[in-house]
Amino acid sequence: MDMFTSGARPARASFWSSPAITAALPWLVLAAIAVALPLYGSGYWGVIATRACVYWVLVAGLNLLVGFAGQLAIGWVALLTLGAYITAVLSAANVLPEVHPYLALAIAAIAGALFGVIVGLPALRLRTFYFAITTLGFATIVRQIALAWASVTGGGVGVPGPVFPPPFDSQWGFYYLCLGFAAICTWMTVNIANSRFGRALTAIRDAEVAAEASGIAKPRLLILVFLFSGATAAIAGGLFASLQSYITPDAFTTELSVLFFIGVLIGGRGSIIGPLLGTILLTVLPEFAAPLVAWSTFLYAVLLLVIVLVIPGGIAELLDFKNRKPLETHRALVPRPELLKRLLAQDDDPGTLTLEQVELHFGGVRAIDGLDLTILPGQVHGLIGPNGSGKTTTLNVISGYYNPQRGRAVLKDAVLTQLSHHRRAQLRIARTFQTPRIVGEASVIENVMIGGTIDGTGSFFESLFALPRHWQDEKKLHETAMLALSAVGLESLAGVRADRLQHSELRFVEIARALMLRPAFVLLDEPAAGLSVEEIRRLGALVVEMAKNGTGVLLVEHHADLIFDICDHVTVLNLGKKLAAGTPAEIRSHREVVSAYLGG
Amino acid sequence: MLLSIVLSGVAIGCVYALIGIAYNVMFSASRVFSFTAGTLGMAGGILGALFILKLGLPVWAGFLLALAGGAILGVVTEILAVRPVLKSLDQHLYVLSTLALALIVQQFAAIEWGTDAQPFPRLLNIERNSFDQQFWLPMVACAVTIVGLEVLYRRTLLGHAFRAIAEDNYAARALGLPERNLRMASYAIAGVIGALSGFAGGQMLLAFFDNATLLTFYGFVPVALGGMGNNRGAVVAGLVLGLFQQAANFLVGGVFSSVAVFAAFILVLLARPEGLAGVALGRRV
Amino acid sequence: MPTSAGEPLLRVAGLSSGYGKIGVLRGIDLVVGPNEVVALLGPNGAGKTTLLRAVSGLLPWSGTVQFDGRDLSGAGPREAAKAGLVHVIEGHRIFTQQSVYDNLLLGAYDLPRGERAARVEEALDYFPEIAEKRHERAVALSGGQQQMLAVAQGLVRRPKLLMLDEPSAGLSPVLVDRVFVVVRRLRESGTAVLLVEQLIEKALALANRVYALARGSIVLEANTGEADLPNRLERAYFATARSND
Repeated sequence: MDMFTSGARPARASFWSSPAITAALPWLVLAAIAVALPLYGSGYWGVIATRACVYWVLVAGLNLLVGFAGQLAIGWVALLTLGAYITAVLSAANVLPEVHPYLALAIAAIAGALFGVIVGLPALRLRTFYFAITTLGFATIVRQIALAWASVTGGGVGVPGPVFPPPFDSQWGFYYLCLGFAAICTWMTVNIANSRFGRALTAIRDAEVAAEASGIAKPRLLILVFLFSGATAAIAGGLFASLQSYITPDAFTTELSVLFFIGVLIGGRGSIIGPLLGTILLTVLPEFAAPLVAWSTFLYAVLLLVIVLVIPGGIAELLDFKNRKPLETHRALVPRPELLKRLLAQDDDPGTLTLEQVELHFGGVRAIDGLDLTILPGQVHGLIGPNGSGKTTTLNVISGYYNPQRGRAVLKDAVLTQLSHHRRAQLRIARTFQTPRIVGEASVIENVMIGGTIDGTGSFFESLFALPRHWQDEKKLHETAMLALSAVGLESLAGVRADRLQHSELRFVEIARALMLRPAFVLLDEPAAGLSVEEIRRLGALVVEMAKNGTGVLLVEHHADLIFDICDHVTVLNLGKKLAAGTPAEIRSHREVVSAYLGG
Repeated sequence: MLLSIVLSGVAIGCVYALIGIAYNVMFSASRVFSFTAGTLGMAGGILGALFILKLGLPVWAGFLLALAGGAILGVVTEILAVRPVLKSLDQHLYVLSTLALALIVQQFAAIEWGTDAQPFPRLLNIERNSFDQQFWLPMVACAVTIVGLEVLYRRTLLGHAFRAIAEDNYAARALGLPERNLRMASYAIAGVIGALSGFAGGQMLLAFFDNATLLTFYGFVPVALGGMGNNRGAVVAGLVLGLFQQAANFLVGGVFSSVAVFAAFILVLLARPEGLAGVALGRRV
Repeated sequence: MPTSAGEPLLRVAGLSSGYGKIGVLRGIDLVVGPNEVVALLGPNGAGKTTLLRAVSGLLPWSGTVQFDGRDLSGAGPREAAKAGLVHVIEGHRIFTQQSVYDNLLLGAYDLPRGERAARVEEALDYFPEIAEKRHERAVALSGGQQQMLAVAQGLVRRPKLLMLDEPSAGLSPVLVDRVFVVVRRLRESGTAVLLVEQLIEKALALANRVYALARGSIVLEANTGEADLPNRLERAYFATARSND
């Protein structure tokens, strides 16, 4: 993303302040310190560094789950326990024939992946706090089983950890093994973070409805992340068992779990380097002063409270120098509607979008009462009416947040009301929201790229290892997103964190995101709310141009002037029913409409 | 044997139910589940043992001081971990802030009080029998709490105000109710109830720092199954949980009873995320 | 603090407000005199409700709000209500699980214990229809009765200024008239009213003065006696780009 801010950089900026270097610098420094550690560090520091690497192998995966997807998995130590015992028991050969440590580690990873899905599954159905509690429950249960199943786990006495064959059997050898795993995990999570999957995860976290409207299937994606986080946690467990050289259930406390979790959070959500530094900090902190060891969890908790209340962005925010530069205060949005042609070019007949006799009630209240509506491609269709007349509800029926009790929505041969949200996105129905649903911590262009998630061709696996299709997808999404941003006039803000934008700009970010779907139909929910007169005029021109390029627009709006200016057709709702329909001129002179809409 | 399973099951169920009620009282006032619920129970046990056994205060004084400690902890929770994050409920920061506070308190207890379970005093100087005070004290505490809350909520203007902010926080504020003070008061009440559970159940659970984790989890089960904010549901679910746990303990032994309880909890929740007595929540957009 | 004859009861100057980043109101100036009924009209989304919320302290705002000679900056709804500025919010949001009587007692929360019952009876006097149902749970009331209850909740405090947000919404014409009769009685008894209303004609019949709000700004201020008001209102609503005026 750095290349977009580079334009604003003064020409005489030195090599060291170039954004690419600033971004890479912390990584280079860390790598240098880590690789050279045996040259200057004592054996004691070697153990601590090894432990930090092992912890990071787990935290790297957990970071995708907690920091990116926002799933508050507090008890992820359960997976560490599982991995440690599987590796240790298999290579100790006290129950089964001896297994080579690497094979044992691989088996642990597979088991961890599967168990990760089991621990994670409740997240698909339960509220945040419920999920947090259930993961804590898993952690307790796994530890109790380890304690009770003495014939396999050795119970309270424990089992010896695996010893990896040379050259990894020495202290520094083992350190390099763990460092290698840590580096690979870092690389893989960076790949995911910078892929459509990583962006989709942050969308699930901060703007779930927008994620659904963009065609992101939350269950599928989360299961992939549970698999990955489970596997890395179990591998960390195997390494942990070897590092401890002897494991008992006492090693896998809730406090340890909390350490991992807090490591992610003090690092900052949606960052990789932040949680990495967080993990190192938490591992090293107690070593500086022996009396602190007893107080370490206490201190972590204090740190967590301070982070949540004072710097919710964590370490990553402190390191985010790029976004501390003040933005230009008087920046005007100048959309370039002529660019829409390149974004929207319809290759086939999109058909018409129709609602047939739709009825929806909440309890006894009829929100929509037998509504028929036809939206034609290439037209702007206005939907107006008093508060509570069912306008947004109508959009929500089309995009699938509500299922009507009667009637249906149809596009071509597809009955929308039978499809899940993300299938509707595949039919190229895009939308915006009354309050913009944006990932505040992601950059503007990343937010826009979320809209094109379903157009990627590479799999999660391909992104994990940065295979060619991952790069193709990224390049294409990036180009399209830049084009969409230019069309709405925001290209100069592409690299800026979205939560630094003004409200009116966020409305245009949402439109750019909707454009990424190459929408056949776009549903705009009060796009003009909070915009200045000039901005509304520009919005109007943009919407008209979208229709000219073949997109059907359904526009819910309170600004009567905008509606009458740009609509081809207007439907007036009142109490969930159609009060009138016709051209703007007809509606404008409709006495009943004037009285219902304006009062009187 | 059956009798002792039932007695201990009901008794421990009452402790869980009380923690569940503490969760609910906090939730009703703020729409926030707080990880400190179990910590309150832990505090009741440790403070009781501290005041009565270590400092030698009379039982009644130790009791009142333990409840006061719970109330203070409740108010501190509101000020430090809840109020600052109420504005952004949808970001779930309360999960983190209350977790952090719960850990702070629990770790403080672990360091200052010690990590071993320590004895809790016998409160009443009467002879031990099969229906011992360690069983009936939690039951009495639970009954008193339920009756007390019922009287508060149904018969007093203060209680009506609590119900008002629980039903429609915005309308209550618009009407000029002192919403912030009422929320603090709710947290104080939750603190008293939580401490009461730990105090009344002290002879069963002992004065042990790790009770915080245990009660945070087992106290939440009645809330999740009984429906959030629903105290009657919490009591019924708490008793069922206690009996189920003790029966499983007897039939299949310690660890597997935990596994059984946990598995049952997860399965019920997955089948009915809103709880057995709850109602699904509506709109998102 | 006593108000002199010419001084307005409520004076709003240069008020801006909104929701977080979303600015809704810009530079609002508005006054309500003692014993005056002022109608606040405007199309949907113009910011009428936001204005009432800002004035009563439910939303943060910047600018000046003075009530009864007092500066309301930083005041929440409770302080406003104590000063005599009562806001009856939109959508008759009463507490459905409590009785009619208990709902009214909640309106009397800040009053001395001994006065509460008398104040509740006083408020019930305005609405004989709900007085009959005082022991029923509010959920059993019809929409119109719930709206009456919401207004009565505000009256318990004997407000100097009552702000009503669309009291007619969702009510049948008969019930609307009954609510408006009460507003008239309030005016006669010396209570000022700031009324947000969709029913323009009824509002104009009742009010002394009218403000029209569109796109977050006041676009019209007039006495209700002035000629051609409905047409002027409509033009004000539909006016494209005000900057072209």
